[in-house]
Amino acid sequence: MIQFLIKRFIGLLFVVIGVTFITFILGYLSPSDPIREIMGQHFDQARWLMLRHAYGLDLPWYQQYFNFLVNFARFNFGTSFHYQDRAVWDILKDGVPISLELATWGTLITLLIGIPVGIFSAMKANTWIDTTNMSVALILYALPPFIIAVFAQVILVQINVSLGTQWPVAGWGTPWQYDWDSLQNKIVPILVYAAAGYAYFSRLARTSMLEVLRQDYVRTARAKGLRETMVVYQHALRNAMIPLITVIGLLIGTLVAGSFFIERIFNIQGIAAISVSSIFQRDYPVIQATTVLLAIGVVLGNLISDVLYSVVDPRIKTE
Amino acid sequence: MDIRDQNPKMATSPEELMPDTGSVIPPADLLDLPNVPTLLREAEDVLQKRGKEPESPLKESLKRLRRDLRAMVSLGVFIFLIVLAIIGPPIYKSFGATYASDLGGPIGPSVYRDYAHQELSKQDQGPSAQYILGTDSLGRDLLSRLMQGLLISMVVAFLVEVVDIGLGVTIGVLAGYYGGWIDQLLARFTDLVFAFPGLLFIILLTGIFGNSADDYFAKLPVLGSFLGNGNARLVIVSLALATVIWPLMARYVRGQTLQLKQQQFVEAARTSGTSDFTIIWRHIIPNLFSIVFIASTLNVANTIIGEAGISLLGLGVQPPGSSLGLMISDTLDQVEVHPWEVLFPTIVLTIIVLAISFLGDGLRDAFDPRSKD
Repeated sequence: MIQFLIKRFIGLLFVVIGVTFITFILGYLSPSDPIREIMGQHFDQARWLMLRHAYGLDLPWYQQYFNFLVNFARFNFGTSFHYQDRAVWDILKDGVPISLELATWGTLITLLIGIPVGIFSAMKANTWIDTTNMSVALILYALPPFIIAVFAQVILVQINVSLGTQWPVAGWGTPWQYDWDSLQNKIVPILVYAAAGYAYFSRLARTSMLEVLRQDYVRTARAKGLRETMVVYQHALRNAMIPLITVIGLLIGTLVAGSFFIERIFNIQGIAAISVSSIFQRDYPVIQATTVLLAIGVVLGNLISDVLYSVVDPRIKTE
Repeated sequence: MDIRDQNPKMATSPEELMPDTGSVIPPADLLDLPNVPTLLREAEDVLQKRGKEPESPLKESLKRLRRDLRAMVSLGVFIFLIVLAIIGPPIYKSFGATYASDLGGPIGPSVYRDYAHQELSKQDQGPSAQYILGTDSLGRDLLSRLMQGLLISMVVAFLVEVVDIGLGVTIGVLAGYYGGWIDQLLARFTDLVFAFPGLLFIILLTGIFGNSADDYFAKLPVLGSFLGNGNARLVIVSLALATVIWPLMARYVRGQTLQLKQQQFVEAARTSGTSDFTIIWRHIIPNLFSIVFIASTLNVANTIIGEAGISLLGLGVQPPGSSLGLMISDTLDQVEVHPWEVLFPTIVLTIIVLAISFLGDGLRDAFDPRSKD
């Protein structure tokens, strides 16, 4: 177990180095000169050289990369190119709580609704309830989040028009505050954000539950006359949860990808929105910081999923 | 001279001529087999009664696919959309009356139904004889932009699939057949690609190299006219999408190759002295057909979503070019006033994505009936 974890951790370290290297080298190879762009019309050679030196851009690439790594390890993401007096962390600080809130609620709803619906569907297998549930899940799973988001917005607009309500179509409100105004802003994006995960988990929960219900020990439990609720909740459910728990970590990847579109469509100023706008501003330190942060989140998710897998199912041996 | 005369030790008894199966006694089920010639005769009788040749697996799969109504409808829709993207614009531009333009002078349908033509006095119009689906906030024909967006989606999907299948099959077969360092390299690379969120990589690549791609590709001699209109970033987007997608294909192919390598017909080919290249070309690659076909169909949906998503974030196709994602992005701030403008590209995208997903599911059921969940 410990050996397995250490092995996974070393693998993870390689991935993090790979991710930081790709992020760094893409910025380094970039054909546009950020300093020149900051200076714009006020370009002059002496100040250009001075600024390059100040940002450390005149060093050879391996030295720049080394500095980049060292600073990163100290959580020092450098200074923004675009807002010259602001540290990168200062810019990210506004977005992180919003994205975190969106992700937290998205995950909770995904799990708390998706899994029970899937299990319920499995128990009603091949009835109209099951068919409807699974058709909805199939469609939600196939569609990308931004399509669902646009449909939600259009429906919201129609509701506003026909009922004369003033439900906000975009925006977020204060992070982690749940008065009525903020709630109105937050409910729809969170539901849309959770939709893809919901579809995935309810489908997986259904398949997994059906698989377990076919097992011999479930038949034994039924044969000895246990009540059906007892059979399902005491015997089958625990084993059906194994594949579900192991993919929870992978959810982070989906959430990160989804956040770019949800934040774009609903005009939410989270970390993904900051990342995209920093690309337009050629603000490399901000781009690099957001990319590496999000990538580390995904990698950690993979690690969590591996660990959970070996905890839940001890048959997984270290190879 | 008989070869046995030179080597008296050479086996002559029928038992010793039997292939070496590893055990002296053949497995029990082989011994229990009834008289083989009788069986063959019975089989021939059955075939003659049905009066036809045994069907190839491909034919049987296609037959199963043809029975799948949802998949066939999806296939029809998909083909219709491809045809619409290619021959729709010339047909649409060929009819229609002449209208007065706000820049003065009458203009024909080939001008005002161009996807890039702006008519600033006719913004956000509803459907009319001039603009069948109406116009957007810059007075551009929505139907023309939709068809151009479809074309872009198809072109990107095609480009990405070419790279995906080419690289994925080549590397996957080599890694599966030879193992060794290619396999190691592929495993490390796929680990990295799976860990690095694909979307982030694409955003990074298009964001950083997008501007210079615009300058570079617009100057190319032949492609320049197509790529110049804000479409230059498609090349970057396609490349980035392909980079992220091919390792998965390679992994599927590698797994399948590993299985095929163990099969008896490959062993037989190798025993009879067939070269590695011929084995791969004649025996392995044809057997990869169904897995590559299914995986690439499902990939097409992901690719189209990917391109639309990148364009939606403003990193893909640039105005005045058109793409379904860019149309959503352009019309999004109008959602409270003119919701249909954002609804059209979204519905078209929904139809494509669902059609391809259903088709992919149908293909999987038809070509690999055991994989049903």
